[in-house]
Amino acid sequence: MRQSTNYAIFLPLGLAAVMTPAIMLAAGGTGTGFNAVVHGIESRYHAHANHIPFMMLISGVAGIATHGGVRGLRVAEIEHLDGPVDGAELNALVAQHVGPGWERIIRETSRDGDDQSLIYAKPDGDRMGLLVVDLDHHEMNVVQISIDPKHLDDDIKQYSHHHDKAHDDVKPDDDGQDSSDSE
Amino acid sequence: MKRFGVWASALGSGLALGIAVTGAASAVAQDQLPAPSPIEKTLAERATHVTEVTLDKNMLAFAAKFMDKDEDKDDQEAKDMIRNLKGVYVREYEFDKDHSYTAEELEGLRKYFESTDWSPMVHERTKGVAEGTDVYLKLVDGHIQGLFVLDAEAKELSLVLILGPVDLDKISSLGGTFGIPKDAVKSVKKAQKEAGK
Repeated sequence: MRQSTNYAIFLPLGLAAVMTPAIMLAAGGTGTGFNAVVHGIESRYHAHANHIPFMMLISGVAGIATHGGVRGLRVAEIEHLDGPVDGAELNALVAQHVGPGWERIIRETSRDGDDQSLIYAKPDGDRMGLLVVDLDHHEMNVVQISIDPKHLDDDIKQYSHHHDKAHDDVKPDDDGQDSSDSE
Repeated sequence: MKRFGVWASALGSGLALGIAVTGAASAVAQDQLPAPSPIEKTLAERATHVTEVTLDKNMLAFAAKFMDKDEDKDDQEAKDMIRNLKGVYVREYEFDKDHSYTAEELEGLRKYFESTDWSPMVHERTKGVAEGTDVYLKLVDGHIQGLFVLDAEAKELSLVLILGPVDLDKISSLGGTFGIPKDAVKSVKKAQKEAGK
C-alpha cells in the first residue's frame, strides 16, 4: 500500500521534471539562434513564417557549388507583417533570442519603421555564422548562413580574375578610357 | 599594536588590489568600444535613416582572413593593420531637414569620445551653422592608437571611431569598408596633409 502511494507521488513528479524543459523548449521560449529568433518574431507580431521548401537540398547544392564556402543556409519568410515595426523593439527582440556568441555588427533602421536590417555574426573556428533579419515594408526575411571566408574568397577571386582579364583585353580609347565605359 | 599592524597591512593590500583592479579596468575600457552616447539616441529619433556598424577585435581579426591570400604588399600591410585593430564603431545619421542637430550636441559627442589620450588633429568649422569636421588622434607613447572622426554636414552626421594602432598612410584602405564612409577617410587624409605643411 505504502509502495503504491510512493509511485503515485513520485511518478508524476518525475514526469513533470522530465517534461517541463521539453515543453518549454517546444514553446520556443528558451531556445536560441535562428529558430528562436523566428519564433520570437512570429509570436510578437502574430505572424507566420513560411519556410522555403527543399531548403536542405538548396543548402547542400550551395555547399557543393561553393566548395564548402557557404553552408547551413536557412531562410524564413514572413509576409503580410501588419503595422509599423519599432526598430528599437525589433532590435531588442532579436538580441534577446539570438543567444550567446552572436554579435550584432550592422544595424540599419528608418524612422518610419518600414525598413529595418540587423546583421549578426558569430565566429566559429574558420567559419563565420551570419544571421540577417531584414524588414522591407510588410515583408520580413530571416536568413542564417555559415561561410568559410577562404573558400569563398577563392571562388570570388576566380570570377574577379575573369573579369579583370576581360577588362584588360579591352583596348583603351584615345582619351585613355576603356571603350567598355562608353557603352 | 600587533592587531593594528594586521589591519594596516590588510588595508594596504586591499588598497593596492583596488588600485590594480581599477587600473586594469580603466585600461580595458580604453581599448573597448564605447556604449552609445545618450546624444546618439536623440539623434537616432530625429534621423530618417540610421546605420550602425560595430566591430570588435575578434570580428576584425576574422575579417582580415578574407584578405589572407592577397599577394600585394600594400594589401598585406593594410591587412596587418586591420588585424591589429581593437574596434571599429561607425554611426551615420541621415536627416530630412538641414541641421537637425545642434552645436551643443556636436560638442557633447566630441566630449563623450574624448579622453586624456586624444589630441585634436583638425577642427574645420562652417561659419554660422553647426557644420564641420573634427579629427582626433589617440596618441600613446607617440604612437597612434586610435582615430576619431566627427563629420557634420547639413543633412548627414557621421561618427567614426577606430581603436588600435592606425597607420595614416594605410588609412585609405579602410574607406568604404566596415561601414567607414570614404568622406571620413578623405577628411583624415586632408588633415594629415595640412598637418604636414
